[in-house]
Amino acid sequence: MPVNHLGYRPWKSKLTSSLTRWWCISSSGIALAQKSALVKRMLFAAWLPVLYWGVGFFFIGQAMEGKVDFLPQRSQNHIGHAFNELPEADREKIKAAKSGTNRLAVAVLLKRQFKRIPQVDQLADELISGDESSSRNRVWCWLMMSFFRYPQGLMILFLVGAITPSLISRDIRSRAFLLYFSRPISKTEYVLGKFFIPATFIALVTTLPAIALYIFGVLMSPDLSVVTSTWDVPLRILLGTVVLVVPTVSVALMFSSLTQESRFASFSWFAFFTLGHAAWLAVVFSYAFRNGGAIPFDTDVMEIPSVKRWGLLSLYNNIGEVQGWVFGFSSLSDAWPGLLMLALITAVSLAVIYRQISSPMRV
Amino acid sequence: MQPLISLKSLVKNYRNHRALDGVDLNVMPGITGLLGPNGAGKSSLIKAILGLVGVTSGTGTVLGHRLAADGKKIRNDIGYMPEDDCYIPGMSGVEVVHFAASLSGLPKVEGLRRSHEILDFCDMKQERYRAIETYSTGMRQKVKFAAAIVHDPKFLILDEPTSGLDPEEREALLQRISVLCVDAGKSALLSTHILPDVQSICNQVVILSNGQVRLNKPLAELNAIQIPTVEISVDQIKDEFVDRLQSRSIEVSPLDNGNLEVTGESLETVTHELWQSAAATSTMILALKPAMNSLESIFMETVAEASAASREAANAR
Repeated sequence: MPVNHLGYRPWKSKLTSSLTRWWCISSSGIALAQKSALVKRMLFAAWLPVLYWGVGFFFIGQAMEGKVDFLPQRSQNHIGHAFNELPEADREKIKAAKSGTNRLAVAVLLKRQFKRIPQVDQLADELISGDESSSRNRVWCWLMMSFFRYPQGLMILFLVGAITPSLISRDIRSRAFLLYFSRPISKTEYVLGKFFIPATFIALVTTLPAIALYIFGVLMSPDLSVVTSTWDVPLRILLGTVVLVVPTVSVALMFSSLTQESRFASFSWFAFFTLGHAAWLAVVFSYAFRNGGAIPFDTDVMEIPSVKRWGLLSLYNNIGEVQGWVFGFSSLSDAWPGLLMLALITAVSLAVIYRQISSPMRV
Repeated sequence: MQPLISLKSLVKNYRNHRALDGVDLNVMPGITGLLGPNGAGKSSLIKAILGLVGVTSGTGTVLGHRLAADGKKIRNDIGYMPEDDCYIPGMSGVEVVHFAASLSGLPKVEGLRRSHEILDFCDMKQERYRAIETYSTGMRQKVKFAAAIVHDPKFLILDEPTSGLDPEEREALLQRISVLCVDAGKSALLSTHILPDVQSICNQVVILSNGQVRLNKPLAELNAIQIPTVEISVDQIKDEFVDRLQSRSIEVSPLDNGNLEVTGESLETVTHELWQSAAATSTMILALKPAMNSLESIFMETVAEASAASREAANAR
C-alpha cells in the first residue's frame, strides 16, 4: 500500500466551464501527436519556407523604397530591356503611371519574369496603378497568399495525413468513445475537440509563421505607419487559415471515422487530395496539348471556363481559388464555385462524422 | 425512500429489433445487481440511462434529472465503467484517469492530484506510469474503475466490473465497491453475469429478460425461503438419522455440497427434531443454518418463465 494511501475521499470543488471541455480533448490529442518524431520533423520542415519568404519580404520591402535612378546601371538596363519586351498595352500603362520608381521597376520585372505565377500579373497591375502604401499591402498579401498556397498548402497534405487519420479510427478500435461519451461531453464537443488537434498544428505552420512574417515586414519598414496600410493582412491570414483548415481537417476526420484502421484513413486522405488534383491537371494538360501544345501550367489555360470548371475536382485548387479571394486577388464572383464546393465537402464530411460516431452507441 | 432511477414504460427500438420493451424500474439507494441473459437489454438500458441513446418512448428520471433531455447532467453525476476495454493508445494509466477527470470538469492540476489519489485507492502502484497497452486485464479494470470514480460521482454504473479478474483482485474490487457504497454513501448499479458478486454485495436484484424487467426485489427477500428449511452439515450421514426425521414428517434431501436440506412445518419443529434425532442416532451436527434460495435458481426460473411467456406471446400472434 502506498505511504500516501488516503482511502476514498469525496471531492468537492468548482468544476471548469462546460464550454471549454472540448479543449481537454484537443490538448490531450495535441500532447499525444507531438510525441511522434515524424510530426516533429514535419513541423521543423514546415518552418523552413519562412526563411525564403522572409528574404522576399526583406528585398521587396527594400525595393519599394527610393528611386530607380539609385540602382546600378546594369540593373537599370535589365529593367529597360524587360520593359521593352512587355506587350504594348502594358508599356502604355506603365508610361501613364508615375515613372521612375522602384515600384514600377518591380512591376515590370514581375510582368516579364514571373508572369506564369498565378495572380502575379494582377499584382503588377496594382503596383502600376496604386500608390506606395496600397502597393505594399498588395505585395504583402500576394506574398502571404503564395506562402499559404505553395509550401504550406502542400505541407498540410502531409501534416494532416500524419495526424488526423488516427484521431477517430483509433477511438473506434480501442472503444475509447465510451470514455468520452460516458462523460458530460456532447458529440459536437467531441468533434470540435478532435478538429482542433490538426487545426492547431496547421495554425502552427501557417498562421504563426505568417504572422511572424508580417511582424518582420513591419519591422523592416521605414516606420510603423505601414501598419495603417497593412492592418488587414493579419485578418486575411486568419481567414486564409480557416479556409485551409476547415475543409481539409473535415475530410480527413471523415475518413478517420469510416474505419478502425488508421492506415486506410491515411490512404483515403492522400488519394482524395492527390487524385482530385491529378484529375484537374489531366484536364489542363489534355486541353493544352489538344490546342497546339500551349504550356500546361499557363494560367490562361486554367482560366478558360470549360477547363476551369474541372478545377472543382481538386480540393487544393478550390482552396487556392478561395484564398485568392481572401487575399484580395479575385472577386467573390470568381471564387464562389470553389467556396460552395468547400462548403459542400465540409458539410458532407461533418454529416458522415456525426453519423459514424453515433453508430457505436447503437450496438 | 425516493428511488434514484425511476423509469416508466421505456421502449427502445433498433430498427426492427426491440431492445427494451416497456421497462418499468425503480432503483433504490444501495447496490443493485442487474442480471439478465445475453441480449436481455442490459447494455441498452445502461446506455438509455446515460443518455447515450435516445429512447423510442417512455419517461423517467435519473438522479432527479429528466431521462434523455438532461443527458449531460446525468453523466455529470454518474460514473460509468464499461464492460469493454476502452483506452486511448499511447497514454499511461494515470494519463487516462487524468483525462477522464478533465472531461468531467476537474481543473488540470487538481485533476492530476485526484487521479493519483484514486489510483492509490485502486491499489495501482508504479505501473500507473506505463503505457496502457502494456497492461494486464486486471490493471485495465483498475484504470477503468478509477476513471469511473475520479470525479466523485453520486451513482456508479459498473458493467461486468470483475470479468477477467483473478479471485483476489475480484474480492478487492468488490471490497472497493462496498467501501464506496457503504462508507462514502454512493449507490451503484452492477451489471454482471457473476451471480456470487451480486450475492456478496448487492441489496437489490433486477432481472431483465427480453427487454422487460422480470424481477425487481431486495436480495434478502429473494433469499428467504417461504417453507422453513435449514441446511445442516453432519459428521456422517446415517440412514437411521434420516429415517427418524422422515418418520416425523420432516423432509430430508442431500445437497451437492454434501450437506442435508431439512424442511418441516415450522423452524422450531425442525430444529427440535434435528437435535432429538442427532442425539438418538449419535450423529454429530457440525453446522446448522437457515437455508436460502440460491440466486442462481431464482435467475434460471425467472429467465425460463420469461422465455415461456415470450413463446406463448409469439404463438398467440
